[in-house]
Amino acid sequence: MSPPLAAFIESFVLPLLGGGTVAVRGPIRPADRDEMAEDPGELGSPALRFLRLRRAQQLAPNPDLPDPDLEELTLWIGLHNTLVFDHPERDRVWARSTTWRRFEGATRTLLTLPSTTDASEGLARHVSVGAFVQLLRRDTVVTTAAGEARYMGQPVPRRRLFFAAPPQTGQREEVVEWLNTPHAAETDRLVEDVMRTSPLTCLLVPRQAPPGWSPLQASDFLQSRGIARSIVYAWARDPDWVGVGAAVTTALLPSVPLPRGESPDAGAAPSAAADASEANPPGRVGGMLALPGVIVPTSPEALSAVVGALIHLHFLKVVELDARLGAITSARDPGTLAFLALPLILPMIAGATGTPLPGLEGAGMGRAAGGVRTGPSPAGAASPGASGSGTVARRWAEYLDHLGELVPRRTVDNLLAALVPRIVQTQ
Amino acid sequence: MIGRRQGERREDTNNALGWRFVQAGRLGPGRLAQDCVRLLDSAAVASALLEPVAAGQTRFRMHGLSPDGRGIAIGRELLVLFPTLDWLVSFLGAYSDEASLDELIPTMTLEHVRREGGGHAIVMRCAAADGYGVDRLQRVSAATRGQLYTGVGSVFLRWRHREAPFGYDLAAPMSAKPEEVLVVDVDVAAAYATVDRMDPVELIQRLQLRPVPLPLRGISSDPEQCGVQDLALALVAPGLAARTLAYLWRLEIPMAGHYVELEGDQRPSLLLRLRNPSRRALDVLSSTPGVELLAPVSARAAVEVGYKHPIQLASASACFPGEEMFLFRGSVGRVERLDTAPRFIDGRHLVKNTGGSRLRDIGQLRDAELDPLRIHLKLRPSSHPREPRGTLIGWDQVDLLRHLVYLIPPSALAASRLVPLEEGVVVLTGSSVGARSAAAGAGLGAGAIVPLGRRLGSVAPGVLVMDGYELWPRVRPTLMRQLLGLGAEDHALFLSATSDPIRVRPDQLLPLDAALIGRMALGEAVVREPVDAAIAPGEIDNQKLSRFALWGFGGLSGVSAAPALTDGSDDGPGPGPGQ
Repeated sequence: MSPPLAAFIESFVLPLLGGGTVAVRGPIRPADRDEMAEDPGELGSPALRFLRLRRAQQLAPNPDLPDPDLEELTLWIGLHNTLVFDHPERDRVWARSTTWRRFEGATRTLLTLPSTTDASEGLARHVSVGAFVQLLRRDTVVTTAAGEARYMGQPVPRRRLFFAAPPQTGQREEVVEWLNTPHAAETDRLVEDVMRTSPLTCLLVPRQAPPGWSPLQASDFLQSRGIARSIVYAWARDPDWVGVGAAVTTALLPSVPLPRGESPDAGAAPSAAADASEANPPGRVGGMLALPGVIVPTSPEALSAVVGALIHLHFLKVVELDARLGAITSARDPGTLAFLALPLILPMIAGATGTPLPGLEGAGMGRAAGGVRTGPSPAGAASPGASGSGTVARRWAEYLDHLGELVPRRTVDNLLAALVPRIVQTQ
Repeated sequence: MIGRRQGERREDTNNALGWRFVQAGRLGPGRLAQDCVRLLDSAAVASALLEPVAAGQTRFRMHGLSPDGRGIAIGRELLVLFPTLDWLVSFLGAYSDEASLDELIPTMTLEHVRREGGGHAIVMRCAAADGYGVDRLQRVSAATRGQLYTGVGSVFLRWRHREAPFGYDLAAPMSAKPEEVLVVDVDVAAAYATVDRMDPVELIQRLQLRPVPLPLRGISSDPEQCGVQDLALALVAPGLAARTLAYLWRLEIPMAGHYVELEGDQRPSLLLRLRNPSRRALDVLSSTPGVELLAPVSARAAVEVGYKHPIQLASASACFPGEEMFLFRGSVGRVERLDTAPRFIDGRHLVKNTGGSRLRDIGQLRDAELDPLRIHLKLRPSSHPREPRGTLIGWDQVDLLRHLVYLIPPSALAASRLVPLEEGVVVLTGSSVGARSAAAGAGLGAGAIVPLGRRLGSVAPGVLVMDGYELWPRVRPTLMRQLLGLGAEDHALFLSATSDPIRVRPDQLLPLDAALIGRMALGEAVVREPVDAAIAPGEIDNQKLSRFALWGFGGLSGVSAAPALTDGSDDGPGPGPGQ
């Protein structure tokens, strides 16, 4: 019999990272983890390191990954156990729900990892969690006289095929994304814990991020040029790129409340949090609107990185000629409006973030946040090397004009009051 | 409607006056009241002789009026009043252009009438057809200053117009005097007495022809316009008959003739019928004094070329009763009336045969006697320049040809053919035999461009002879191919004066580009499989968990053989939280 760790890596970890059949067996207890940890030599196997490297190279060309350690093994076991809760034969393991609750607690303990200290550690977390998020499942649907029976990631017993309808219609296979399928209640709770272990994955899949997550937790990655480009390109690949940007912006807004003294009730300039409260009106008048969100201490560099990445997403779509906003003109979601308003405050934060068209500030920054042109746009005369970018600069200016007509003035004012001072640090 | 309103108003007035007279008590409803009524009636007649017919009205005051399908009141006869005879002729001409006069002429009468109050007019009377035909008559007559009336017998009413779309009826019964025609308009009535009567057929036959311009370049430039494209008639004076017949016979023009006796001539004239006359004959005949060309306009009428009858005779066949034929001669101003239709005799019976020899049919051809006549087709030097259609390149110059191929235009290269022979390589321009492209047909092949070898010229399609030679005697190109026994796309090459010609079949003609240009070998693409497969998402495989529920789960399969945890519960070991 192969050693326990080697068998686990062979049957679960390697297929998880490199593709293949990810075997989900029975629950793995913390005691099993300890047993595996007695001989951690398999963690340094070349196949495992190679697959981790290849996974990481999808984001960064030369990743500096730490070696696999027990913490990562704990994460893998937690991922495995999370999948066990969705096992269709789960009832065969333990019949008492109390046992399952204890097992859920044990799994949550496995998934409770310390926060990442540097980008390489966060990248290593994402290698596993990112693969977990992309897991597929091949379901077999058997049509019988009594209806359809779905075998989730399992072969169909022969006795069921005997009663099935004619073969051409009696059985079909469907490949589904595991994360988007209905889960057990425990699985739904544990997936949030899984996502919390990897801020980078949350940043890449912001709509799957747990509540309370802030993109500022992953701002280290956005300050790295290579990974930031990969992140923004991953956002841009999503057909609903506005939704992705809106999810990131929505997570960012609680971290940048209005400065003290400018309450939402002041009327003139309600904060971004006030925008968020409009979507969920308070139940009673005069009471506390909602509990304050998790406010992550921010630095101007971290904010600049997040805002710059979001603005760069706009710019990428303008370059791709894919910046069609016609379908979202009626969007009233505060996050969506704030995301669309971000390019309009670029002239105010250009000193800290730079511009997507360096040397073409006049062209790219043609319209200020207040809707007033800051100056002429000499696209061709801005710099000798900018003649090829003249068309892009013109499209960018037109896009800004379009956004200026689309986004309400109040949203831009909120961003000017809540976001710009934290980036520019005028005071 | 206006007339009816006026009539009603008049009756009301009469009643009112009569009632007033009676009411006054001084006058009874007797003679004085009747006189007053009569007086008022006589005063009102002058302004309302006719009253419009209402829609659906079926009873009329005037006898002979009846409604047609549309409700229009139509009498049995029509009367058209023309101011002069010229306008009548214009009317007949215009009507014949549009419709057939045969419908009018059988019932048509023309009268020269005098008006009761003074003045003359021409009256045309005919039977009335339906309302549509009368409307057409009204339209044509209005254009020729005619006034149309409808009625019967001696009373005619004005035809309908915009104010009375269903026609008119008499406001009061009216009658005409004997031998007079009463024409009633809305506000006036006129009586016409007949002075003279005219026969319409005779009038049409007596009308003077109108000259029309001929084409400037003669009749032959446009025979169709002159009406002599397919058939022409020629009236030849008696003294010219024999010469004209001889001339036309020499031209082999199909003709037939008939001698007609014209009034006032001593000898009969010749009337010729020419079918498909040649343009030259038309020119000669039209310019010959004594010969008049006539264009047949109907089966029994012909008009001289250069003139036109005022009436379309083709639509007036009723004008030519019986079997008579009419020749309208414009130049002399006469109408020749032939008693019967001319019976034309074929031209070969009219010409005079002056030859004494007779033709003899050959009984049998004697082939053997032709052998002494046969000669050989020879190649002889000639200074006659010919278009080069090919070239014979020796094998020692093939290398030069290989270099020149790069300079040949693509169209010429595609049209050229190549024949490798012992003497060398013959490069042919795609000849006219089986030319499949415009360049080949135009002779723009490489054979005409390559400045190598000895040129070959074409003496017949597909027959190429060395430059400076020709085939003698010069026979027809098609005959030459027959003599050489060439097939449809065969070529014959005369490469030297001493050697026999060479037959080249189509399958032996190689395309020049395909023959010279070497094949380029394409290397097969080698696809290298990547060493490492692409990173793909994992696929969950929920493996079988075949443990009884109450027995618990004893640890990771394949990881630990023995149960690792025992917490004493009845359902087996379970994980401890926080372990």
